[in-house]
Amino acid sequence: MKLVGLALVVGGWALAVGGLVTSDATAVRLIAALIGLAVSLGGITTLNTAHMEHAVWKTRRS
Amino acid sequence: MATLDRSTPIGRRLTWLMAALVAVSVAGAVRSSADDAAPGAAAPITAADIKGITAPSTDDLAKGDPSGTMTGTAADIVMADSKAGLTITDVVNQVGQNRIAVNFVWTLVTGFLVMFMQAGFALVETGLCRAKNANHTMMMNFMVYGFGMFAYWVMGFAIQQGGSAGVTNLGGLNPLNSEFKLSLFGKDWGLFGMQGFFLSGSTYDVGVMVMFLFQMVFMDTATTIVTGAAAERWKFAAFAISTFFLGALTYPLFGNWAWGGGWLSQMGANFKLGHGYCDFAGSGVVHSVGGLTALAVAMIIGPRIGKFNKDGSPNALPGHDITMVLLGCFILAFGWFGFNPGSTLGASGAGNLRIGSIAVNTMLAGCTGSFGAILYMWIRYGKPDASMSGNGLLAGLVAITAPSGFVNTVGAAIIGFSAGALVCFSVEFLERVFKIDDPVGATSVHGTCGLWGVLCVGLFADGTSNYGGAWNGVDGSVTGLFYGDAGQFVAQLIGVCTLVGIIFTLSYAFNWIVDVFVGQRVSAEAELEGLDLPEMGALGYPEFQLVTPGLGRSIEIGG
Repeated sequence: MKLVGLALVVGGWALAVGGLVTSDATAVRLIAALIGLAVSLGGITTLNTAHMEHAVWKTRRS
Repeated sequence: MATLDRSTPIGRRLTWLMAALVAVSVAGAVRSSADDAAPGAAAPITAADIKGITAPSTDDLAKGDPSGTMTGTAADIVMADSKAGLTITDVVNQVGQNRIAVNFVWTLVTGFLVMFMQAGFALVETGLCRAKNANHTMMMNFMVYGFGMFAYWVMGFAIQQGGSAGVTNLGGLNPLNSEFKLSLFGKDWGLFGMQGFFLSGSTYDVGVMVMFLFQMVFMDTATTIVTGAAAERWKFAAFAISTFFLGALTYPLFGNWAWGGGWLSQMGANFKLGHGYCDFAGSGVVHSVGGLTALAVAMIIGPRIGKFNKDGSPNALPGHDITMVLLGCFILAFGWFGFNPGSTLGASGAGNLRIGSIAVNTMLAGCTGSFGAILYMWIRYGKPDASMSGNGLLAGLVAITAPSGFVNTVGAAIIGFSAGALVCFSVEFLERVFKIDDPVGATSVHGTCGLWGVLCVGLFADGTSNYGGAWNGVDGSVTGLFYGDAGQFVAQLIGVCTLVGIIFTLSYAFNWIVDVFVGQRVSAEAELEGLDLPEMGALGYPEFQLVTPGLGRSIEIGG
């Protein structure tokens, strides 16, 4: 799950840069960058969810 | 004397002829005079012009100079050959050296101010932590200065600035002339520098030394951000290793891409995207790198014991000294006068007189940042929260850091106010939704608001700045979306994607490795006791009883 999250984080960046090199149109580059950022943030969310599964406040007996 | 009879036809013709001749003569004289005084026409200085320039005698100077009118004359110009006397070459060289000297002094003094921000960060973070961790938190902020500087001297500066020759404000920095580039899609992508390791060889240079000091104190700001997010449970050894990595690799990499001539800064020249990624003083390079690394470490290290209940609801763990926090915020605001205006790297030439505007933009954004936060908290919770007001000031300062050199005061005020409100929202979101425990709000102040500041360049840059007629190799002034250049906004957005996609990932990966081999987090017993004794061997406040009701045993020291 953590690796999936990291892959999404990097993949989002690749999308943004991909838009930069494959199109000269500002609108296309903008959309690619926005989608890429959303994918990266989704990756961080996935990564954090994986961490929360074993969070100290879930596992520790108070 | 003969006179002209104008009553005759010949007399009248001769009168008109003489009038015409006079008119032509006058017109010619006016044109000649105008040519001599044409705007911009500068007569070259010759040696004859400076021949005969005298200076006060030694006897005159020995009488004292209370008015200062005799101090600073031609006698103070350095002569290449005192026997030959003052020459035009001496004068011209002195002018050039004076410009560089002014810029050196400016850059160094502003760098000293930024160094003093370490004290501000130390006070803010220690004040927001519990007293039983005061020694440990203070020590992390104290030693981050040394650990980070060492890493940067060994290799960080070389990676970041090794290929950044051409900084005319500081004499050119010509020894920094080696950048590793990949050729992809028909363009050169600068990735990292390769000159300046240990500041040895040709980089033992007066200009390079100035640049190193200034860039080093910026790097230390990034490294100290992480200590706040991981406070109260971070092993000192893990902190030291993590800091070294950040100063040696992660920070310099993005610094090269943004400031060292790397691929992000060249998106304008290579891909016609505005002026490429623009970051005047480091909302991205410094604060976002620090904030995103802080997020990565906070995720790996996990929340403090007692921060969240079994149902996931958060508990407040208040800091022990709000006076320390607000004093620290003031010290940071003071140091920011070095952070932003100093990023011109000079006060003479190439548009550097904009330093006044930059300083005012910085002040205003901090001011409105505190307004945004105080309003948010007052409306939402009925009280103007002191610690969030301080964080609001810092959020405004963080957000204005990137756009400070490119925006006007209205833009600065808006950027600051929005950042002040944004930081409050971000703190709540990260705590309640992501369950991230960040004792000082470092991720929100520096990560969230840093990324916002990066985007603000692409929105609010008004196209009036002129730093030598170009920026990042693209002619003209940096201009944002609201002033007509959508491409600039896209360039900033790609910068944000790079920070999130690459820098966060690098930081997470490395700190995960540290966690596997060294362990990032202290034991539960050490955490409950407080890190001062287990990690540092001494209490921050040895004369007081330190108790965390319900969460740990009490320690009674003294009588």
